[in-house]
Amino acid sequence: MLTLAWRSVRHRPARLIATLLAAFLGSAITMMFNSLHDTAAASGVDARSSESLSLTGGVVGGYGTLLVFFAIASTLTVNVRQREAEMHLLRCTGATPGQIRRMVTGEAAAVALLGVLLAIVPAMLGGQALVAEFRDTGQVAGNVEHTFGPVALGAGLAVTLVSAVGAAALAVRRAAKAAEGRRPRARLRTAGGLLALVAGVGSMGTAFSMDAKDSALMAPAAYGSILLSLGFAVFSPALLRVLLVRFSRPVSALTGGGGYIAVRNLRRRAEQLTGILMPLMLFVGIATATLYLQGIESDAITASGMKKSVEDKNLETVNLVVVGIIVVFACVMLINTLYATTAYRSREFGRQRLAGATPRQVLATVATESLVLVVTGVFFGTLAAFAGILTFTSVRTDETMPSGQGPGIWLTIAALAVTATFVTSLITARRTLRTPAVEAVAVAA
Amino acid sequence: MSAFRGRKSPESVGGAEALRLVGVRKVYGAADAAVAALDGVSLSLPPGTFTAVMGPSGSGKSTLLQCAAGLTRPDEGQILIDGVPMTGGGEKQLTKFRRNRIGFIFQQYNLMPTLNVAENVTLPLKLAGRRADPERTRTVLAQVGLADRLAHRPDQLSGGQCQRVAIARALVAEPSIVLADEPTGALDMKSARDVLSLLREAVHAHGRTVVMVTHDPLAASYADTVQFLADGQLAGWIAAPTPDSVAERLAHLGDPAHQAATPHHQPIGA
Repeated sequence: MLTLAWRSVRHRPARLIATLLAAFLGSAITMMFNSLHDTAAASGVDARSSESLSLTGGVVGGYGTLLVFFAIASTLTVNVRQREAEMHLLRCTGATPGQIRRMVTGEAAAVALLGVLLAIVPAMLGGQALVAEFRDTGQVAGNVEHTFGPVALGAGLAVTLVSAVGAAALAVRRAAKAAEGRRPRARLRTAGGLLALVAGVGSMGTAFSMDAKDSALMAPAAYGSILLSLGFAVFSPALLRVLLVRFSRPVSALTGGGGYIAVRNLRRRAEQLTGILMPLMLFVGIATATLYLQGIESDAITASGMKKSVEDKNLETVNLVVVGIIVVFACVMLINTLYATTAYRSREFGRQRLAGATPRQVLATVATESLVLVVTGVFFGTLAAFAGILTFTSVRTDETMPSGQGPGIWLTIAALAVTATFVTSLITARRTLRTPAVEAVAVAA
Repeated sequence: MSAFRGRKSPESVGGAEALRLVGVRKVYGAADAAVAALDGVSLSLPPGTFTAVMGPSGSGKSTLLQCAAGLTRPDEGQILIDGVPMTGGGEKQLTKFRRNRIGFIFQQYNLMPTLNVAENVTLPLKLAGRRADPERTRTVLAQVGLADRLAHRPDQLSGGQCQRVAIARALVAEPSIVLADEPTGALDMKSARDVLSLLREAVHAHGRTVVMVTHDPLAASYADTVQFLADGQLAGWIAAPTPDSVAERLAHLGDPAHQAATPHHQPIGA
């Protein structure tokens, strides 16, 4: 089976590019930050510098692991789904479920390993830059030199490989269940969504019991926003369906035959939209919340007439890095999911064309769907972020609304979300249209 | 519309033609491995006829139908629907030409999974920017026996019901010609008979023109004439077909000694 896995990788390398990218980015970030532990443990580093380094390494370490897992899981789920036909063929030729699982996990492990190897040099350079930044801002002593050691390498390998293998096993299990015709458990998802909403509100509630000067105050507000984003992603499709029933006439009137189909697609596939809305809302929610929280914190420090402490600077660096990581990962997840779901619909687009849709009408369907999705995603992501921002503002500054922060950051984030969604969906749809309609419907028949 | 209109031979070139093919040629594959799926086919079908196209696998019958429908572009030759030559140009022009003149029925139905029965039937009209008259939709669906299934979705219907929805969809725009590619290929015997009867009714009761590709002699016997195809070329036709006469003829296709012979001898098994 490992031989089969190897051949499969060699013949269709493009399919695993997204997984490789996720593994590469994930291990680069993991190793970059874990190398701070190596640096902290090196001889000749004073206690204060060591604490600074360890703190930063630890915070991003936990965050990073979770993100690496989500990103790899997302790309692998898509990869496995694209290969339903191949796996069905293998099952028919006598492959046991275990053999198929070993094939997919073997592939994932190979790709993850490659990702780690490719990421070592960028992680070293990134780590050096990080330590240099820490020196320049006085967060560590001037004599501290960056060290890339066993902790960094070990963490990179462990996090990426475990994520890849775990995510692959999960993806295969889901695919096998789907092949048996079992539906994913909607009740479990609803429960998870509810839990996320409750925990999000709870997290924001704890912020009110904290001291305004507490440097950890930002955390409950930010986590609250993340959890609310997750919860909204679960429940927004149902809400969307209700809204679309009400507004189906005006939307169809504005967008013609293509939009007519889009509205019905969205209404009747609402449950499947969570997969696209989740990265979209996480991206908007987390990026908006973190950047504005940091801005408000900086303003508050300036207003109080104090200078930023080392701890404040640490927190700022971490926040900006976290946003950077999340932006990249959420974008990879969003683009990969959109690409896969759109490419997967080649047959459906073929049917639409055979029923008399011009290529432009097919693209109008995709564009209308993208518009509805991105408006929903940006709206709820912003809502989740806004809840966190208001919580933080009222505790930190005694104001109800944040002053001094313009809409510029939010506009940039929204523009990024809109661009990623439209460009990916439309380019992918256009590519599927190159196949003649008759062939497109015959492929999976 | 009298049933007799359909008994004209496919070669009789009348004033009005629903479909006319002139020297249509279609080659697949690169130069060294090229296969001519259609090798200079000329054909003329008057309106109000039901024609079956038969031939062995690889005889080019599906290519013929797809060329006639504007779904595949022929390498040479011309196709006229109702006397109007099929436009060249891109997929956009072809689609616009097609959706106002041609109804197509597929073996695998090709219904939109997210649309219900009524929405699927009116989709070609919606895409063409035409108003879908609900009364007309109900009438067409009643004709195919699905008046009580308007709000069902394709995955809630049987194969036979899906194909009847597809027939209603092909008929709703009142096209000049309806093309059906193995419409009974995925159906059980009873559903297949229902579908074939509906196609015949569309011709004889409602004056539509239907061309159906099939490999089943029983299905072909529902047509007024059967046109045979072998190796990309026309290979004769028979009028008023029966399953036996079709099977007999099919068995001797490409067999030069029997090409012109009329089956006057005792059919096997009779």
